[in-house]
Amino acid sequence: MDILDNYKKAWENQPEENERVSVGEIYKMAHSRSSSIVKWIFIIGILEFVVFNSLYFFTDMEEAHRQYQELGLENFVLYTQIIAYAILFYFLVMFYLNYKNISTSDSTRVLMRKIIRTRRTVRNYVLFNLGYIALVMIVFTIASINVNMEDLNGKQIALLIGAMSIFTFLILGVMFLFYQLIYGILLRKLRRNYKELAKLEDE
Amino acid sequence: MQKELEKKFLADFTKNQNIVHKICRIYTSSADAHNDLFQEITIQLWKNYPKFRGDSKFSTWMYRVALNTSISLYRKSTKRINTQNFNDVAYKVKSTEYDDTEEVQLKALYEAIHKLSDIEKALIFLYLENKSYQEISETLGISNGNARVKMNRAKEKLKNMLNP
Repeated sequence: MDILDNYKKAWENQPEENERVSVGEIYKMAHSRSSSIVKWIFIIGILEFVVFNSLYFFTDMEEAHRQYQELGLENFVLYTQIIAYAILFYFLVMFYLNYKNISTSDSTRVLMRKIIRTRRTVRNYVLFNLGYIALVMIVFTIASINVNMEDLNGKQIALLIGAMSIFTFLILGVMFLFYQLIYGILLRKLRRNYKELAKLEDE
Repeated sequence: MQKELEKKFLADFTKNQNIVHKICRIYTSSADAHNDLFQEITIQLWKNYPKFRGDSKFSTWMYRVALNTSISLYRKSTKRINTQNFNDVAYKVKSTEYDDTEEVQLKALYEAIHKLSDIEKALIFLYLENKSYQEISETLGISNGNARVKMNRAKEKLKNMLNP
């Protein structure tokens, strides 16, 4: 007889839990607030959308508009912002649909895939935003150089490009680290488990 | 309508709650964490109950939601892995009618299961609960063949721990 069979018998004969939870307690529990990672992903996701879209409130729009005019970037700013809003809308809808689609009645693998996909939607939105920031920085640098071409010497241009590059990399770098951290803490266990299941399917 | 549903849910759940307790015992290491996970599973079961159509058994659906919550949704337990105080488990399963040898075996079994990965825990748990490979593969979302391969490995690992 297999050694596990003995243990299985012990398992089957184990008594019921001494501390049974009463109907009243179960009712209370069922209506309490969840602290699952899916909920955290949703909250953090919403926060990210809010934060990225409220950055504009901290800038002086009139001043910014004057600068766009000076640099001849009015159209660039207008069109990219329309595109950015369309993309924001797309990501918000996708995020919500993916989130709604998460169901604990799914199989373990499907559930994990859906959670990761929801999280990835927000991450992609953030990546898009970082790309957008980088693009705006580059266009502004080029436009500034173009407008002030006559007043600037080679050294000043190089300095300007250098400073803008460092600034851009710094922002992107900090954001990247921040993301690795949130992502890491929240999804480490889930990703490990998902890999374990997925690895098996590939073997 | 909602009240009817709630009543039925509470009755079904209260009757089958031992399944959830067993799952909490294998995925957590303290009484606090046990209660915490139990609560989260209850929330998820209730949230999903309207989708439960009754085309499968309540208990089958319960295994799935409870395991999913433990593996994918709950994260507090990770900190306390391997610090299990087995008296915590022991007092929960102590009974006068329960054979001494079996009690020792059960403790050793829980101890060994605690050292497995989350996925292996689920596999072993479903094996101990006499689930078919069909049901196991459907619960975890892997093919029947892969469930067998993975199960054999998990069983080997468990055997080595129980009988070094």
